Amino acid sequence: MMVRILNYLNKRSQVLKRLFFVVLLMTVVFDFFAKRHHAHFFGDSIIGFWAGFGILGCLGMIIVCKGLSHVWLEKEEDYYDK
Amino acid sequence: MINSTIFMHPATWFLVGAFFMPVFKRMGLTKVILIAVPLIACLQIQWLPESFGHASYLGFDLVFGKVDQLTRVFLHVFTIMALIGCIYGLHVKETGQHIAAFLYVAGSLGVTLCGDYVTLFIFWELMAVASTFLIWYRKKNRSIQAGYRYLLVHITGGLILLAGIFLRYQNIHDLSFVRIAVEGASVADYLIMIGFMLNAAVPPIHAWLPDAYPEASVTGAVFMCAFTTKTAVYVLARAFPGFEALAILGAIMTLYGVGYAVVENDARRILAYHIVSQVGYMVCGVGIGTAMSINGACAHAYAHIIYKALLFMGAGAVLEMTGKSKLNELGGLYKRMPLAMIFTVIGGISISGFPLTSGFISKSMIIAAAGESHRNILMLMMTMASVGTFLSVGIKLPYFIWFGKDSGVQAKDAPWNMNLGMAIAAFMCIFMGIYPDYLYKMLPFPVHYHPYTAYHISETLQLMGFTGLGFFIMVKKLKPMPKMNLDIDWFYRKGARVFMWIASRPVNAANNWTNEVYRTVGFRFTLAFAKALSWFDWEGIDWVIDGSARGVVKAGDQLRTLMTGKIQHYIGAAIAITFIVLILVLLV
Repeated sequence: MMVRILNYLNKRSQVLKRLFFVVLLMTVVFDFFAKRHHAHFFGDSIIGFWAGFGILGCLGMIIVCKGLSHVWLEKEEDYYDK
Repeated sequence: MINSTIFMHPATWFLVGAFFMPVFKRMGLTKVILIAVPLIACLQIQWLPESFGHASYLGFDLVFGKVDQLTRVFLHVFTIMALIGCIYGLHVKETGQHIAAFLYVAGSLGVTLCGDYVTLFIFWELMAVASTFLIWYRKKNRSIQAGYRYLLVHITGGLILLAGIFLRYQNIHDLSFVRIAVEGASVADYLIMIGFMLNAAVPPIHAWLPDAYPEASVTGAVFMCAFTTKTAVYVLARAFPGFEALAILGAIMTLYGVGYAVVENDARRILAYHIVSQVGYMVCGVGIGTAMSINGACAHAYAHIIYKALLFMGAGAVLEMTGKSKLNELGGLYKRMPLAMIFTVIGGISISGFPLTSGFISKSMIIAAAGESHRNILMLMMTMASVGTFLSVGIKLPYFIWFGKDSGVQAKDAPWNMNLGMAIAAFMCIFMGIYPDYLYKMLPFPVHYHPYTAYHISETLQLMGFTGLGFFIMVKKLKPMPKMNLDIDWFYRKGARVFMWIASRPVNAANNWTNEVYRTVGFRFTLAFAKALSWFDWEGIDWVIDGSARGVVKAGDQLRTLMTGKIQHYIGAAIAITFIVLILVLLV
């Protein structure tokens, strides 16, 4: 049954994509209404701060890690066996 | 008296179980024992007295059982984890693997309960040796090599710890395992701390973990991911709360581990690097040292053991059924292993700290504690690491195993016992997320933290949602490649070759040269001298002490036939001897 549901969803990836963007929008909208009890950090008082942090952090991390891996750390799998 | 309290110690059951496992196998009772022993331990730890198992040995006061709230949390999760791990490994036919797992758990429980450094050290080494066998039982060439490296690194760490213990004894003549104050910490204490940090996989002494765990046997890895690092977190929390070095290194760890998890290809290596990251939160929590952050470290250790084991079980199930663990060889498995997929996705969202899962209520406690102590940089580093967590283990891992491009790999769902193990762990992840008081009630300090505030939910959903967006923007860049990445272990893996070269060329040449000189000059003289001595010894002294030297020679010959030259046998014998000594100590 599980498999059938996933197959069904798999065929409708466009709908899922739109749904995903709606959810993203809603998280930011929700942030307008979330009460801030004690902000210790300046980011806590900016609406949508963590959304920006999430996207920039994610992209930054991919670029830095993949970059480092490509130019320096990445080796063939049998590197130590040679 | 000690005789009556020996079975009060939960480790005893595991030790006895391990010792008699071959007998139980003959009787066809292996499966019964595998369930019964952890179950007894689970129940038994509820009624432990505050202190038990005192013994005196060589003038040291040994304390095998010292129980407070900090001990209880860890005992609780260790015994539950032992039960889950044993269920997951029920189908394994090799008795040796079960014995190794039991000894390993016994070591971990022994460390958790001990009240002095001597006892701690004995159980600490038992853990290191037993877990090495869990790697070797994979029986691949790579795992045998990785096992040797693992053992050597842990022996080194053990020696540093032992040096610290000796120095500490010399300084203060007290070996009780208690909190060490930040102000009075000496070199001895820092050596002990380094010994502990090695097991917690704090960079730069972390490389043994991602080196060894992916090479361990399927069930072995499930046990290993739970015990070594978390036992280390426990001892750090007991002895070194509030040490600034831990706070900073812990925060660095969270990012270091997750960085590698983003780029690695092997599913179990991703998870192994991710242990480094997750343990970083706990080490940082211990280092911040407030009641809230210590609580957070304990809560996170509890939650982490369950969901990381769940993920290792999921990746292990895939490895068991398909023989593959590299992401570039997998994909589209949701059609063939739907149960494992559901469980692993639950593990993935739990580790990412999604609302209604255990990660949400535990990880956030440490991050909030950092915020409350005005450690904003630490807080941001840890938040960044949770972005990476969701990216690497929450999305990347499930996506490339279960979804993504269909690899056409054939598989069917794992045996019932593996699925049961995963189901229990998955249930606990959700249960703790919905009912956090279950966990909060166990913590060492009273909890005043409420995870389900509107702002915290909003913050988490934004972070997760937009990380997901980032993933799908960059999904092409993240396509797994059959590559590996260098880490600190390069120094000793390549360094060992330099050492071997020096040993085989210059040192060997020098050795040969000295031999030559010795043979021509010293040999004749020595030979004559030895002959004279030997005559005196054989005929003179031995006559006096009644032929005992001849007896020793004979015994030596017998001993030589016992020496098989295989390191496994030596280590096996060493464990047996440790075990016997332990029993003697306990019974005396």
